[in-house]
Amino acid sequence: MSAQLQPLLPPDTLEQSSSMWVDEAIWGHRLYDEQLPWMVLLEFLNVFYHEVEKSRAFEEPNGLNMLKYKAAHRLYLRNILFNNPHLAEIRLNYPNDSNRWDEWFKRMKSATGITHPQFTYLKVHFHSFDDFCEVVSLIRSTSLEVNSNKRWTSKFVFPYGKECLYEDLDNTATTNDRRFFGRTGELLYLMLCRTQHKQALLTALTSRLSMTDSTWNSIIKCLQPTDDEQIGGDRANAFLPYAHHPSFDELAEDWLAILRLNIPGFDVFPHLTNLAGLHLVKYQLGVSRQVLGMTSPLSLVCEVVAPKKTLVREISCDFYQENNLLPAQAVEAFITNIEMGTDWQQALTEHDAFEKCKKILQDKARWGEDYDGSSDPQQLITSLRQAAMKRHRQHVANIHRNYGREIGLVSKRGTIKLRYAPTDALLKTLLFANVENRIELHQLLEKLHRRYGLVFGDKEAERVLAKDEFDKKAFQANSRRLEQRLASVGLLKRLSDGCAYVINPYRVEAG
Amino acid sequence: MPNLSWLKFLRHYGPVPRNDNMYDETIQRSARRQGIAPIKFEHPAEAEIVNCFSHATVDPVSVILTGTAGDGKTHLCRQIWRALKGAEDEWASDSPYLTLESRYPKDRTIWPESDDPTLYRSIKIHFIRDLSGWAPQQGAEWETEKEELLQRCCRSIFAPDTDEIFLIAANDGQLIESWRRLQETDHVKRTRQVFEELLVEDKRQQSGVRLKFFNLSRASSAELFDRAIAAFLQHPGWQELMEGTPGENEVFGPKCPIRHNYELLQNELVRSRLRALLELCDYNGLHVPIRQILLLLTNSVLGHPDAKDHLMVPADVPKIIAAGTVSRASLFNNIFGGNLSAIRRQTITIFDYLERFQIGFETSNRIDNILIFGEGDEHLGPYFNEFLVNDQFYGADSRFHASKLDYIEGTNESEDGASEFMQMLVSQRRGLYFKIPKNKEEELGLWELTVFKFSGEYLDYVLSVVRNQGIVKRPIVSRLVKGLNRVFTGMLINSDRDLYLATGGNNSQAKISRLLLEQVSVEPSKGEKIIIRFDGTSGRVVLSVFFAHDISVDFNLTLIRYEFLSRVALEGALPASFSKECYEDLLAFKSQLIAAYMRRQAREQATEGSAIGLKLLALTDQGMPDQKFIEIIP
Repeated sequence: MSAQLQPLLPPDTLEQSSSMWVDEAIWGHRLYDEQLPWMVLLEFLNVFYHEVEKSRAFEEPNGLNMLKYKAAHRLYLRNILFNNPHLAEIRLNYPNDSNRWDEWFKRMKSATGITHPQFTYLKVHFHSFDDFCEVVSLIRSTSLEVNSNKRWTSKFVFPYGKECLYEDLDNTATTNDRRFFGRTGELLYLMLCRTQHKQALLTALTSRLSMTDSTWNSIIKCLQPTDDEQIGGDRANAFLPYAHHPSFDELAEDWLAILRLNIPGFDVFPHLTNLAGLHLVKYQLGVSRQVLGMTSPLSLVCEVVAPKKTLVREISCDFYQENNLLPAQAVEAFITNIEMGTDWQQALTEHDAFEKCKKILQDKARWGEDYDGSSDPQQLITSLRQAAMKRHRQHVANIHRNYGREIGLVSKRGTIKLRYAPTDALLKTLLFANVENRIELHQLLEKLHRRYGLVFGDKEAERVLAKDEFDKKAFQANSRRLEQRLASVGLLKRLSDGCAYVINPYRVEAG
Repeated sequence: MPNLSWLKFLRHYGPVPRNDNMYDETIQRSARRQGIAPIKFEHPAEAEIVNCFSHATVDPVSVILTGTAGDGKTHLCRQIWRALKGAEDEWASDSPYLTLESRYPKDRTIWPESDDPTLYRSIKIHFIRDLSGWAPQQGAEWETEKEELLQRCCRSIFAPDTDEIFLIAANDGQLIESWRRLQETDHVKRTRQVFEELLVEDKRQQSGVRLKFFNLSRASSAELFDRAIAAFLQHPGWQELMEGTPGENEVFGPKCPIRHNYELLQNELVRSRLRALLELCDYNGLHVPIRQILLLLTNSVLGHPDAKDHLMVPADVPKIIAAGTVSRASLFNNIFGGNLSAIRRQTITIFDYLERFQIGFETSNRIDNILIFGEGDEHLGPYFNEFLVNDQFYGADSRFHASKLDYIEGTNESEDGASEFMQMLVSQRRGLYFKIPKNKEEELGLWELTVFKFSGEYLDYVLSVVRNQGIVKRPIVSRLVKGLNRVFTGMLINSDRDLYLATGGNNSQAKISRLLLEQVSVEPSKGEKIIIRFDGTSGRVVLSVFFAHDISVDFNLTLIRYEFLSRVALEGALPASFSKECYEDLLAFKSQLIAAYMRRQAREQATEGSAIGLKLLALTDQGMPDQKFIEIIP
């Protein structure tokens, strides 16, 4: 982690939008807090399937950061599933089957985003309108974020297969919208392009995806006309500023571990999603620390929720707070680095210092064109600092919190302050990714610390905490609670005092 | 004057503060000092373990005795030492490591008839009777010769021609931990792997490895209890006390609570109810070591909250009789550690386990009506007399009557008064658990006195039936299947003739699963069936679901799971606290069932049909499954 970062420059072809390029230069274009991990996975799958079809998955044949792909719109499917409040009412008010179909077809004439919508193709797939309704309700019940009140064009069916993938659209369902597909999935894809495990991962991922039950993908295909050709334009301009990074490899290792297990069917997706979220958080914090020149590894002190306030909880809150500030500090440091750089210092000594400095900022941060403050380089860079922080705080700063909460790492349970308090679901994911067959609990704790910086037990805490802060008993109690939690979800076998094995029920050799 | 040394000695077994490390040795030593025979009985595995070093074993084999503290590891080592004629004084030394030469036949298939020394070879047996006392402290380095010895141990268990074998006693955590700290040679790695395998899979040996592995924590607590209580009650110390013909208010006199407790323990009903609790512990996966059983027995006889260490000494007895607090020495309360402080009680394994039954705190209206309003009542009166009035020691004494009156009339409104009576009720309910005779069990709802309302049924109609290869009654199987169906579908389904395997479409563990994969018939049909049986190798009761005669999945039917499924079937839900673990276990079971179903389907010749069929599960108003078949034509 402590190795010197060597950020890439964006390729010339990258769209030269007028917006500032600070967060992007540090972490990429881009991390987006409103795109929660499930949406990241969906966007990733869109890219992945497209690239697989072009036989170039996980390669960047045109050079780094030259990714270009297309995503489907599938507006027939989406109108049926998410823009169609008529089914129950029609079933109630129209007694016979052909009436029902007719009425529904009539109403669907106003389906959004499709020129001359024509839904009659559905009739050949179903014996009755009733059957059709049942199927729709089943698919709806398994769609992602079923109960959210997002606009219908931002609702997504569960990724059963290729026929289920499409991109986020704006209200009118005409152009793509970066609201929930904010390119973080593209970043994820690029990360996996740049790991040494990409070949193994490609094999594992394609074989796993081809193994899943195709029933649902076929059913969803039936809900779409055969000639639904609507496809969005080229999606490009994703940018990941590092050619290599340890977090890319660690992410790939975890995905590989999960894909190797005997987890039935689609049950792997939640784990892949959690791990993607976790590694994105780790990537953001890890890069921040590198920018700040910190050499010690990242630490996340986790509380295994206790009924009462504990010392571990307090420490966990403190660590959360500290880590939460890292990205903002990295932004500061990035700008300070420009200011301290030879270019800038050189420019200051020259007679048209202001113009030179402005040029530097335009080059390095794509900022300053609209600057109308005083012609003082100091003032100029202060304004950049303010603008960059303001922009940072709007989205990128929230990744740690939003992703952390979404994957079950960060929680407020029992307090008003946020802290690291993993849920059972996340613990399961971590265990599946890190226990091949079975290991002793203390070995797992050591591994979780080494690989993610997670601290649960006293041994790890002792290494991370200052002497006056470390309380052995409190952390022993914490790992005991972890032991009980794991036992309560059936993943731990206690032998006698001081000997407990964590067991992966999906281990590879099991039938 | 009776001989009191036995009672003084007995305290050593009780919940008194002490250094636990060399418990067996300490007891032996004070027994020798005081000239009293310690409580002795044969461990169920003793013969088998000793035979590893007798003529029964021709080819020498190393033995590891593991288990939790108090399982009798040191005791068994001593038995072997004696059987091999090791010197007593060497054993009595403090050394955790001893050696012994023994001879084995050169022909490793048979013991020769003759004593001709040329037919034998000498084998060195290394006794590490206390690994934790012998291995270096955590963080410290191994001494070279100790490390070398264990390295040799690792080599010897894989070497067919070994001339040395080992007997190591250690609790499992220490065993693995010590091996982890050895220099990582191939043999060490392999040995540790073997240990882990044997421990986690509950096995005694592995082919190709010259090692027998006895995990004493897998012994049946109920069986240990039978042996322990027999030895406890038959100890000559009791007889000597009797023969001392004590006076009325003296120790072991007719009014002495110690004597009464001792006599109560001899009572068949009391004994069987206590045994039932230990057996239920076994079937909840909780193992009670011997030391804890002896502690339980000692505490139940000697316990009194007002005595020093909460255990009576002979001198206490006349004082207690005079103070009128005999009832506070109640065996029924002592069994649950009621004489100890809450903090002390929680640190003692056996009381922690017994507390989980919540006996004394769980009750039913009927039981409490007997206790509170039973006196003089036309219907309840006879019970009140039978269980409370007739019990001169721990039944309704004057304190109980007064407190009860206060409570009913509400004259004493202070919190103290009410809580004192509540305490008495706890003791009385505990008493009832041991007093209600077998033939009134059902009528009075004996098991309502515990958290596990179905435990009586579990013992009588499941456990004892399957252990004798019997068939569990249909209504019980049906109830469990209904419980499974409710968990598997997430719906309040009432069907119990088939097991419904359903998923949520994208998630096999969805809370509500409407998509039906398969129904498995409970009655035998085309290879499918669901039965409850006893698995002899693991000693467990299992529910087996057969998809075909050669494809089945077993589910360890512990008491808590039995209770969970039964309550889900009858009531639809459970208090959240004890349902989560079971719920997770059941989801894992469902995953296994789905996998087994897939295995069977893989064998079927899939018809290359064009249509996709879905079976949707809905419920009728009666909660019966209503399947809807939907076909989609691609």
